[in-house]
Parts: sequence; structure tokens; C-alpha cells
Amino acid sequence: MISFVLADLRRLWLGAFVLVLLVALATALGVAVTLQERALRLGSARAAERFDLVVGAAGSETQLVLSSVFLQPSPLPLVPGSVLAKLATDPRVAWAAPVGFGDSFMGYPLVGTTTALVKGTTAGFAEGGLFAHEGEAIVGAAVHLPLGAEIKPMHGTAETGGETHTEITYRVVGRVKPTGTPWDRAILVPVQAVWHIHGLGHDHHDEDHDEDHEGHHDEDHHAAEAHGHDHHEDEGASVPAVQQVSDVGAPSDAAPPSAVPADHDHDGEGEHGADDHDEDGHHHGHIDPDAALNEVFTDEAPGLPAILVKPKTIADAYRLRQEYRTAGTLAVFPGEVLTRLYGTLGDAKMVLSAVAAGSQALVAAALLLVSVIHVTQRRRQIGALRAFGAPRLAVFGIVWSELLVLVLMGIALGFGGGYLAARLIGDAFTRQTGVILPVEFAAGDGAMALILLATGMVFAAIPALMAYRQSPAQALRS
Amino acid sequence: MLSLSIENLVVRVPDLQQPVLVIDRLDVPSGQHLAVTGGSGSGKSTLLNIVSGLERVRQGRVLWNGSDIAPLSESGRDRWRAQNVGLVMQDFHLFAGLTALANVLLPARLAGAADAATVARAQDLLARVGLARPSQRVETMSRGEMQRVAIARALLRQPGVIVADEPTASLDVESGAAVGDLLLEVATETGSTLIVASHDPRLIERLDRRLALAAGRIVTDSAAAEVAA
Repeated sequence: MISFVLADLRRLWLGAFVLVLLVALATALGVAVTLQERALRLGSARAAERFDLVVGAAGSETQLVLSSVFLQPSPLPLVPGSVLAKLATDPRVAWAAPVGFGDSFMGYPLVGTTTALVKGTTAGFAEGGLFAHEGEAIVGAAVHLPLGAEIKPMHGTAETGGETHTEITYRVVGRVKPTGTPWDRAILVPVQAVWHIHGLGHDHHDEDHDEDHEGHHDEDHHAAEAHGHDHHEDEGASVPAVQQVSDVGAPSDAAPPSAVPADHDHDGEGEHGADDHDEDGHHHGHIDPDAALNEVFTDEAPGLPAILVKPKTIADAYRLRQEYRTAGTLAVFPGEVLTRLYGTLGDAKMVLSAVAAGSQALVAAALLLVSVIHVTQRRRQIGALRAFGAPRLAVFGIVWSELLVLVLMGIALGFGGGYLAARLIGDAFTRQTGVILPVEFAAGDGAMALILLATGMVFAAIPALMAYRQSPAQALRS
Repeated sequence: MLSLSIENLVVRVPDLQQPVLVIDRLDVPSGQHLAVTGGSGSGKSTLLNIVSGLERVRQGRVLWNGSDIAPLSESGRDRWRAQNVGLVMQDFHLFAGLTALANVLLPARLAGAADAATVARAQDLLARVGLARPSQRVETMSRGEMQRVAIARALLRQPGVIVADEPTASLDVESGAAVGDLLLEVATETGSTLIVASHDPRLIERLDRRLALAAGRIVTDSAAAEVAA
């Protein structure tokens, strides 16, 4: 019987091939949707795993998580530096670290942060070690820069026409082991250096400037607290460079002097301030690459887009989140925000799954149609088989197993193809975002395969039953 | 080897008032070579289908060696036919993509009845019908060769009766004659009863007995004529 089935399939190879292809495509669609959705869920959950609590200024929770955990540039309102100072000394907090972003180098986001964050969120170094001086940087596993490479940060990104900071060149001193998160694509530098580049929070060694700065700081804090959002939007409209990046420092410092909005300047001094910027090049004269790091933050610290907090206990985490949900600040568990996002993602998955199921139903219907026509065309042949003494069950078996072989091949190919497609999509996604998407089969997929197979078996049985029931005499007469 | 007795047979089809075949009594002794003639619609094919168990007998009795096949179920008749009837048809009904040998063995294999002895017998039969290459694919054969394969297939399970429906009609004169010769020879050799429906006068005249049908009834029977004479 097997040789007969094979000979038959060989004879009808083109039709068989098309059927296999149809089944494979429909299966692959369903498999790819399932795998991709799972990979996205697992991958982003793993990316957020080490981020227990994120504190930012009041605004969008989703935006805060996307910017801090996934390093997606966006204009975030700033939270005052005093919040970081308070968190850093809170007894319930293991460590709290600033996350300052906005600059980039060769397409990699530059993140200003502290050694505590690096130690707390990575699994150690693949080579080199932590930064210890202002002019040092460490890179994520996916950053293609060797140790010792020089980094000239660009404000914003190249795509948005950012300007290059000329006042500092970081030197790569370490490479972190892969974490599977977007932070693999990040260049981490001391937040202190970022502030200094942008003329913020530097040491009090120039009296003249200091005064100027104090004034600025007040304004900055005020801006961050009260108008932070508006300011950013204003700037976004006038300066493309900062449209997509949230600022490390104060808005006025970030924007090129010519573009500083009028309402930003404090009365009378505004013009002077802007001029001052021009002459001083953003107060950029005070960077000392060999300066030691000072990671004790005071209320004087500049405003920040996000603060990453590692609470000591789960209870502490909930208490802290409660406390920092105020009019001015926002505290979120990234995991929770992601769960909410998955809710939306789940809906999209349902739609996609429905589309996949629909296409599978269509293919099943096409399969049925084709096989019924096929059996009708083979009436005489099947009748002859019976006439020559083949038992009815053998006739049923031939038709059934022929279709089943095709369905089986289609499902197997579909699972392979779906897996491959999900992997390719995942790889592309990883290249873009750094989030590793774990494309893997779960036990439930076996059930999906079994359901598909069982459906195929039932559908294949219909033409087989037709062949089984038909009278050989009538079939031969037709 | 098998003798046939038909008693009070009436075959009807759903949409026709008149029965398509009515035979009050027909006896074919074991080993006889019987020709059935008649135009299309005469009931010739129906008779062949009835005696080979392809079509169900609803009215009357069809006795082979005294046992009635009318009460058998569909599967029962399949089994009975596989064991007792060798069928040869006008269109051969060989299966493309398979070799001559595989075609001869196919029904036996599907019935799970192909042991080593059967395979050996299939090879002998192919040699007997004059085919030298059992491994040749049937679609590469001439029509005369194809019908030889079909005859070998019919003989495989040593049937008590060979039923042939227009075995020479789709062949040219020469191969038709050769196939006719072969059928008569093997039937004589094995002692099988042979029932042939045919239009081919040269085949018909060489058979022991001729039965002419018209409108579902026997109009002439050479055996009865001889008795009457």
C-alpha cells in the first residue's frame, strides 16, 4: 500500500506540492504569530527584570518605562535632583541611580548613570572594568567599539541633526557581559560627566559662573517641575535635534542658544544668559576627564528624566511606589506597566491569531474541495481497485493516508517555516533594539500541532469515506 | 472449477420501469467457456457485474458451486470476489507509476494476501503471458502488453472463474487476437470457468457456448439450441 501511495503522490507531485505549500503557509502563519508574540513578551519581560522601580516626573507611565528600560528616546519631563538625593539616603533603598539620556554616539544611546546601576543591573564585565573617572565609558555587549576607543558624544542623534559635543572624549574602559536587554546597545558614562558637558551641577570653583548657574538651576528645576513638558514640546517644534530626545540637563542648556524660546529666559537676564552660553559654549569649559567620580547626590543635583531604584524588600518597593506617586513624581514597576502593555498586545495577538485561524480554515476548505474533486476524478480507478479485490478499508486507507502524508508534511514544514520566520523577525528586532527575543516552542505548541493534525485527519477522512462508500460497479460504469 | 447457477434473477435500476436484466434460469458448468453477446443496454455488463459480485443481487439467487452470493455483504462480496474471480476489463485498469509486477500484486497486497509464494507466482504469470520484464513500468507498455499484465493480475489468486469484459475491444486486430488466444489458453490450463462479454466475432466463435442478450433477456443460447437440436 505504501508503494502505491508513494507512486500515486509521485504521479500527482505538482498538485501534492501545491497542497503541501498551502498547508505549510497557513501553519507557518499561525506558528509565527504565536512564537513572535511569546518572544516579545518574554524578551521585554527579561529586559525589565532588573528594573524594580523607576521614578520619574509625573507624565506617561508607558513613556517612562520605554525610555528608561528600553532606551527609546522621547522627551520626558524631568524630576528634580532633590528626589534622587532623597531616594539615595532612604533606608528602604538598596541603591538609587540616575538614568540620564539624550546623547548618542554612532547610533548607540549614551546613558549617564552611576557605578551602582552598572553593578546592580549587569552580570559583570566581559573585558575591562567600571568607569572610575569622568572621561571613561563602558559599553554594552552589542556595541561594536573596542576597549580604548574614543567616544565623542552627539547631542540627540545623527538622524535628528544633533550636534557633536567637542568638549569631551570618553575612552572605553570596559565591556559588560550580554544582558539581552536594550542596554546591550548602550554606552554607559558617569552621569556626572553628562551633567558637566551640559553645564550642570559642576563643582563650585568659579564664582562668577556659579552665580549664573545657581540662577539657572532654579530656573531649571522650576521648569522641570512646572512646565517641563511644555518646554520640551516648544523645543521640539523649533529644534529638531531635541525633538526625540529627552534632555539630560535643563532645557535651556540643551537647545542651541539661537533657539532658546523667549519664555524660557528669566527676566532681563535672559539675553545675557544666552550670550553667555554662546561665549562659553554651554559652559563646556570645565570637563576634566581625569576627575574622580562623586556619586553622592545632593539636592543641588540637576533634574533627571528617570531614577532607577532598587528597594530592599518587596514591601519597601510597594511603599516607595506609593510614596512617589505624587503630583510631581511618578513611580512605576516596569513589570506592571509591561503587563498592561501585553494586555493591548494580547488583543493584537488575538486579531492576528484569528487571521491565522481564518487562513487555516480557508486552506482546510481548499484542501477538502481539492481532495473531493480528486476522489471524484479517481472514481473509476478506485472502483477498479475494489473490483480487483482490494478491501474497502484498503481503499479508505489509500485516500486517507495520501492526504495525511501531504497534511503532515505541510504542518511539519509550516512549523519549521514559522519558527524560521519568527527567528528572522526576532533577529532584526534584536539588531534594532537590543532586546533579545527568545523564540522558542512551548508545550502548548505541541497541542497546537496535535489539533492541526487531528483536524487534518478528520478532513482527510471525508474524501476517504466517499471513496469507501462508492459502489465499484457504478464507479466503473461512469 | 466453479459452476454457476442463476435462478429467478431480476435486476432493476432506480429510474427505469423495466428491469435491466431478467434471467429465470441459467446454468454454466464448471470449466465452460461462455461468450455473452448483445448490444449496449442489453444487460451484458449487468450480468457480468452480478456474477462477479460487483453488484448486489436483490431479487433471485446467484449460486457459485451451490452457494448463493446474494446474501453476502458488500465487504463479503469483495472478499469472495478477490478469492474467486479474475477480472479482465476493456480499459485494463492498470496503475501508472507502478511496475508490471507491482500491478499484478497490487490487489493481493492491498488485501494483505501477498506472501513470497504469491510474488513468485506473479513472476511466473508474467513470463507465462509473454512479458520478459516484470520491472517495466506499465505506462511505458503497448496496449497489448498492458492487457497481458491485466490477465496475469486476474490469474494471480488462482480464480475459479475468469470474467472478461470486452478484453479485446481496445486493442488492434493483431494484439486482440493474441490476447484472445492467451485468455482461452490460460482458462483451459487452469480449468477455470471463463465468462467473456464481447463483440469480437473471432473471439466469440472460439468459445464453447454463446449467450445473446437483448433488452435484459436471453434471446439465444447456443447450448439450449444444441439441446433442442
